[in-house]
Amino acid sequence: MRNALMVAAREYAENARTKGFWIGILMVPVLLVGAVFVMRWLASDATPTRHYVVVDQTGRYEDALQRRMDLRYAASAFSSYSSWVQRNQKEEFKGVEVDLESMPAMNLADFNADTFLDRLIEEQGEEKFEALIEPGGFDELVEQARPRLVETAGEFEVPRRFFRSLPLPADLGIDPMTAKPDEVAEALKPYLRGEKEMQVDGKPVQLFAALIIPAEVDEHFDPLPEGETESSGVIGDVADGIRALTGANQPPPVQYWSGNLADSDLFERLRGNLDRELRQSQFVKRGIDVGLVAGVQRMALPIKKLDPDKETGKEEVSQADVLRENAPIGFVYILWISIMQVASMLLNNTIEEKSNRIIEVLLSSVTAWELMAGKLLGIAAIGLTMLLTWIASAAAMLWYWASPEAEAITNLASVIFDSTLLPAFVFYFLLGYFMYASIFLAIGSICNTIKEAQNFMGPVMMIMIVPILTMAFIPKDPHGTLATVLSWIPLYTPFVMMNRAAADPPAFDLYGTAIMLVFANIAMLWLCGRIFRTGILRTGQPPRFKELLGWLRRGD
Amino acid sequence: MSELALELRGVSKHYGDLKAVREVDIAVPAGAIYGFLGPNGAGKTTTIRMILDIVKPTAGTISVLGAPSALDVRERIGYLPEEKGLYKKMKASSIIAYFAGLKGIDRKTARTRAYELLERYGLKDFADAKIETLSKGMGQKVQVLASIAHQPEFVILDEPFSGLDPVNQQVMEDVIKDLSKAGSTIIFSTHVMSHAERICDRILLIAKGTKIFDGTIDEAKKKIPNRVRLQADAGNDQLRALPGVLQVDAVEDDLHEDLWDLTIEEGAEAQQILQTCFAQGITLRSFDHNEPTLHDVFVELVGEDAREAQKR
Ligand SMILES: Nc1ncnc2c1ncn2[C@@H]1O[C@H](COP(=O)(O)OP(=O)(O)OP(=O)(O)O)[C@@H](O)[C@H]1O
Ligand SMILES: [Mg+2]
Repeated sequence: MRNALMVAAREYAENARTKGFWIGILMVPVLLVGAVFVMRWLASDATPTRHYVVVDQTGRYEDALQRRMDLRYAASAFSSYSSWVQRNQKEEFKGVEVDLESMPAMNLADFNADTFLDRLIEEQGEEKFEALIEPGGFDELVEQARPRLVETAGEFEVPRRFFRSLPLPADLGIDPMTAKPDEVAEALKPYLRGEKEMQVDGKPVQLFAALIIPAEVDEHFDPLPEGETESSGVIGDVADGIRALTGANQPPPVQYWSGNLADSDLFERLRGNLDRELRQSQFVKRGIDVGLVAGVQRMALPIKKLDPDKETGKEEVSQADVLRENAPIGFVYILWISIMQVASMLLNNTIEEKSNRIIEVLLSSVTAWELMAGKLLGIAAIGLTMLLTWIASAAAMLWYWASPEAEAITNLASVIFDSTLLPAFVFYFLLGYFMYASIFLAIGSICNTIKEAQNFMGPVMMIMIVPILTMAFIPKDPHGTLATVLSWIPLYTPFVMMNRAAADPPAFDLYGTAIMLVFANIAMLWLCGRIFRTGILRTGQPPRFKELLGWLRRGD
Repeated sequence: MSELALELRGVSKHYGDLKAVREVDIAVPAGAIYGFLGPNGAGKTTTIRMILDIVKPTAGTISVLGAPSALDVRERIGYLPEEKGLYKKMKASSIIAYFAGLKGIDRKTARTRAYELLERYGLKDFADAKIETLSKGMGQKVQVLASIAHQPEFVILDEPFSGLDPVNQQVMEDVIKDLSKAGSTIIFSTHVMSHAERICDRILLIAKGTKIFDGTIDEAKKKIPNRVRLQADAGNDQLRALPGVLQVDAVEDDLHEDLWDLTIEEGAEAQQILQTCFAQGITLRSFDHNEPTLHDVFVELVGEDAREAQKR
């Protein structure tokens, strides 16, 4: 035992002392955080302002469109303002809402920011944002908030606009209001192709898109003239007083011109707002109270998600619960990565010892079992060091970012440091590690070069990939056949049970698979130990499968 | 020298059809310096590995320092394997201390010993250098020191001289002599007969897995016939007729056609032959009579096997 521990200590020191090891470990959190920042940056600063022109031959849409785009902009600027205030508030104001009414909580489902902004406008009323559109619109708000902010708060930087409409260029050579839509498009093409540039505040910019709304595009939607009936309709079918045009009778469509096919944000936004304006105007034309419709549209039945497995009175499903159900995916992934990583360390340094022939000296000093145990333990300690570093850096980051505003992060922290998930993680890490590490060790012992080892790693990887392929599905059906069957295959138990851990698996599965895993580990250690003992001293070609079976039987 | 440090009885090792070692008996008295000699592929390394219980014999029994397996007494044994290698990233002193530690020496003692040994054998400046920065020969010296840092009473060195320059070969001889003076029993294998001749008390000669000779160096020299080499204007028959000459062989040599090897009777004096030649009027251009060296013994006893092994 003393010898095994000495071997373990050496393995640990050799790996933990290298810079590469720590760089590798710290890389993971740094990359994760980096990815978040890069994504944010791509979403904001990296996207240039998109300039567009609107040719509205109906004369009815342009202003409404502009107003709507302005409101959206104001709402999004306001939400930045609100975060800015939250971040810079004095301690005693933390958790207190920022003037206006409360911000709607950013739901995990609101991945589409547009939906969120529309809800914000809807709930707070358009008037509140009108004042914010113009430059300087936030001055008053910032002054109001000032007393509750810390000294170091600095200035609020009003976000720039991502979409900006421009007046039409003067040199089009046609009257855009009366020309045919195709002629207008033709006249605008040099700008859209970048052959000509537009001017904004004296600086040249490229035109990103043009929206051409033909004059007769929406007339057929208008209410039927007095006296006309459904049956007398000549240019289309009429149902419930609304005319639908078919085939050749359809009016020319609205044209959205843009050379950039990939970025469809502007297109989606314009289309949504056009439809919105059409509906608004039709409500008016049909004598329907727009305010009433808006009010009705805001109506929603109160609805709660409840979980029968939770305590009475606390059955409501919170965001934390949703995270909790999904967190195991992240855990499984980290489990897999870390087991792979440390087990391959073992493979590499076993091959090193073998090709350096250090192994013979070692084996004249320690038994093969002691050597194997020492290596397994030493690298297990490396693995735990790695995990602890990750957990600690996760804790540090979450602690740094947690705030009442960042409810999601707070919830994430509570899920990660949940009382059962972390111990389960460590348990499955250790047992999963010993299982795969002994396999890797056995492979290392029969190969002389990394290249030879790769032939053996192929099949092992095929086996190991399964939990990764299934990890996203298992939480959706945590007690289904797939999950249950995989849980009972010891090679998969650590991953799949980790996957199911948050869904309170049945006690039989939980303890049954754990006991089985322990026994499988013992069996695997024994089997791989026999291979290791014989293989480690062998030189030349790796043995054939039949030979391996012979070693297992005789163990010589 | 009653006690035996090592005893092998009827030890064989078969690798499939290949009989690497065949029924070898060895008895090494405590305190001896014992040389394992033999051509390539003779089975020296295999025998050594079996002694250390790294490889299990197919048949026979081995007793090391009274124990059935070297692993039972591994704290008392030091081993330098044939293929040398060390952890490249470790420091010379740490490696010596590590292996001494594995042999049961406590950390502090192991560290002091490591520095002492490195200093004594001329590696003081490299004590804190990583192995990868040392030359092959220096690395090998470090490895030798690592195998003896725990002051073992039984040391087994497989080809300790290979890869060393003449100065370091001398250092290696000193290491062995120092160990012996301190009371250790030493076994080493080598292809360099002069080392064996200088430092061994006894040698084991082995070829094709079979023991050819086991005894002191003087005994070994007696095994081969007395020879005289001469260059003369005389025919085979004329030389054969000289008194005391058993056999005459023409030496295969492209430069000289008149070079002969005479095998003479045991007890016959080379001087006598020389005088008879003069008496008979045979013109001698050269006359050579040397005591047989271990080298001659080797070539005589296992030369055939060695050449065969080379052809294979
Ligand atoms: N692991 C092995 N598997 C199969 N054959 C082996 C193995 N080890 C050694 N042999 C064979 O056993 C025979 C003896 O080898 P061994 O290494 O003992 O020779 P040696 O006397 O040490 O030679 P050298 O002077 O070249 O080191 C050789 O024919 C060799 O091919
Ligand atoms: Mg050898």
